[in-house]
Amino acid sequence: MQPGELTVFIVDDDASVRDSLALMLGLAGYRTTLFADAEALLLAWRPAWSGCVIADLRLPGRSGVELQAELRKRGSSLPVVIITAHGDVPTARAAFRAEAVDFLEKPFDHAQLREAIEKAFAREQRRIGLAQERAADAARLAALTPREREVLEHAARGLHAKEIAAVLGISPRTVEVHKTRIMEKLGVRNVAELVRFAIAAGGG
Amino acid sequence: MSALRYFRDAAVFAPCYLMLDWASYIVPLGPFNITPWNPQPALAIVWMLLGGLQHFPVVAATLFAADLLLRGAPAGYALTVLTAVILSAAYAAIAWSLRLSPRFDAGLRTTRDLTLFFALALAGTALGGAVFVGVLASAEPAFAGGYLEAWLRFWTGDAVGVMVTAPLLLVVADRERRHELGVLFRRAEAWVQMAVLAALLWLIFTGLPGDPALHFYLLFIPLIWIALRGGMAGAVVAAGAVQIGVVIGMHHLGVDWLPAVELQALVAALTLTGLFLGTITDERRRAAQDLRQSLRLAAAGEMAGAIAHEVNQPLTALSNYGQSALALLARPGEAHRVPAVVGKMLGEAERAADVVRRLRDFFRAGTTRLEDLPTYELEAMLRQVARQVIGPRPVELALSLDGGLPALYVDRLQIELVLRNLLANATEALGGGGRIRVSAARHGEDRLRLVVEDDGPGISAEARERVFEPFVSGKPTGMGLGLAISRAIAEAHGGSLEARSGVHGEFHLVLPCSRAS
Repeated sequence: MQPGELTVFIVDDDASVRDSLALMLGLAGYRTTLFADAEALLLAWRPAWSGCVIADLRLPGRSGVELQAELRKRGSSLPVVIITAHGDVPTARAAFRAEAVDFLEKPFDHAQLREAIEKAFAREQRRIGLAQERAADAARLAALTPREREVLEHAARGLHAKEIAAVLGISPRTVEVHKTRIMEKLGVRNVAELVRFAIAAGGG
Repeated sequence: MSALRYFRDAAVFAPCYLMLDWASYIVPLGPFNITPWNPQPALAIVWMLLGGLQHFPVVAATLFAADLLLRGAPAGYALTVLTAVILSAAYAAIAWSLRLSPRFDAGLRTTRDLTLFFALALAGTALGGAVFVGVLASAEPAFAGGYLEAWLRFWTGDAVGVMVTAPLLLVVADRERRHELGVLFRRAEAWVQMAVLAALLWLIFTGLPGDPALHFYLLFIPLIWIALRGGMAGAVVAAGAVQIGVVIGMHHLGVDWLPAVELQALVAALTLTGLFLGTITDERRRAAQDLRQSLRLAAAGEMAGAIAHEVNQPLTALSNYGQSALALLARPGEAHRVPAVVGKMLGEAERAADVVRRLRDFFRAGTTRLEDLPTYELEAMLRQVARQVIGPRPVELALSLDGGLPALYVDRLQIELVLRNLLANATEALGGGGRIRVSAARHGEDRLRLVVEDDGPGISAEARERVFEPFVSGKPTGMGLGLAISRAIAEAHGGSLEARSGVHGEFHLVLPCSRAS
């Protein structure tokens, strides 16, 4: 996924605030989608969505903080920026406990808003990058034969070629051939990288 | 203090003292002219309490002069000088200890002030009287046998005189109290009360047969009435009037010493009752006023919070549009989009200005921008507020508002606050979920009654009024101000807000209708 596909999802019950935010962020080069309340966003939500949610704290129905909680419950890690026209401390605290990216008081400083969005996007890109890496790793692992996977597992435990050969009942030379094939398939250059990969694959 | 002012004060004090002494010099007892009531010590005490102890020499000299001029100094010059100094010292001691008492207000505004004043006056006059009578008794052996009785009589006269007269003097000397008196006697009620008091006095001394003391209790009735209505200012005047009436009555009847003392004791009891009642009335009235004030502030605070939110929304949009206009201007070929954005900015500015106008009106007029609120708009308001208040909870809102009902004539923002409080209250009462019913019906000629009911447990008869008290809250959070403010708002509209006790929660909100309908 490209960073350009990140979207700012705006949830505010005030039509003017919604419209003006969309215009401003659109001119700043962000792609925006608008919702009047939390239910509208949840109804349209897809797991593939990435970007950041800017939600008003007080909304008809579910509040911005409750929207964030519901998103987490559904397995979405979309970062949420809470905005509010009442800067009340208890709700701000609740928002932070719910790990909102930022809590901005209306009318907000534009630089602060941009900063919050950028922070959220950076978090999203890290997440997306990690997910992509993991997906690629999984694909590469899938290309190994069952025997190669066995060899990889033992290598990951730190066994040498001779030891692996003894365990599997094959010659050390065959083990070496397997190892070379595995390194080729996984795109790693040396045994150390191979071990690291195997551990990552085993852990993930 | 300059010498000139000192002597000018003395020139006011001495004649006043002499006049009081002369007027109260009735039914003197024994060789030393002990009289049943002495208002002049009150003047001496008040003079030194307000003016300071530097007046002590003037007071002592005046006491001596009074004895000399009015009674011919029967005990001889030396003894008269000594007793004048003794009595003046006792009065000075009372004044001095009151001046030293922390937080004592000479305007006698609290029961504490009043109690302190009476206690010190009683103690001071008792002590002064003991020394005074002792000195006289030692100089006049014929009088020594009746020392205790003479002391008691002297003390009664002085103490009663001080208790009745000093509060009147203190009230008259206090600028704020004088204003209260002025306000009080601009009302016809005060004159009616005084007329009743005078008529009763007349009845007791001339109209009814037998000892005036027998019927004296009748005076308590108008006195209590006056104290409850007029507070301390009214009570002080009434007590003074009773004292003057009793003195005139005693002159008129030519009563003996003993009935005179009895009457004075009754006057003292009456005065104490009246003054304490008056002070308590004042205190209660002040507390009610303070509460109203703090309620008003709280209501204003809630309003300000709501309005700040209302102002922040257009400001946010305004600032976003402004930022957008700048971005458009910076781009080649996009400038033609700017006028549309600026148009939106003007709209938002107008929206913000409208809210600010409303805020200003609220603080200026104490209320309110009254306008028509038709039933369909009320319904929309109820639905919107309910959506916000209820949130995702399984609470159903059933509205039954007859379309034929007249429009309300209210301040929208304030009534929205009231409805929000009532619906939040009902939602909370429901706990898990249930139904809230809101209905409206005509209430008399020009009002509507809105009834908000919920399926919750309702409130007990005892809690019915308590829920409107500020800081009484069933919730662990919140100050419990919501219903108190709502009632204040309803009453400011000339309406009312009541809770009905029963198995279900039920609130009745009465509001005025539009004049047009």
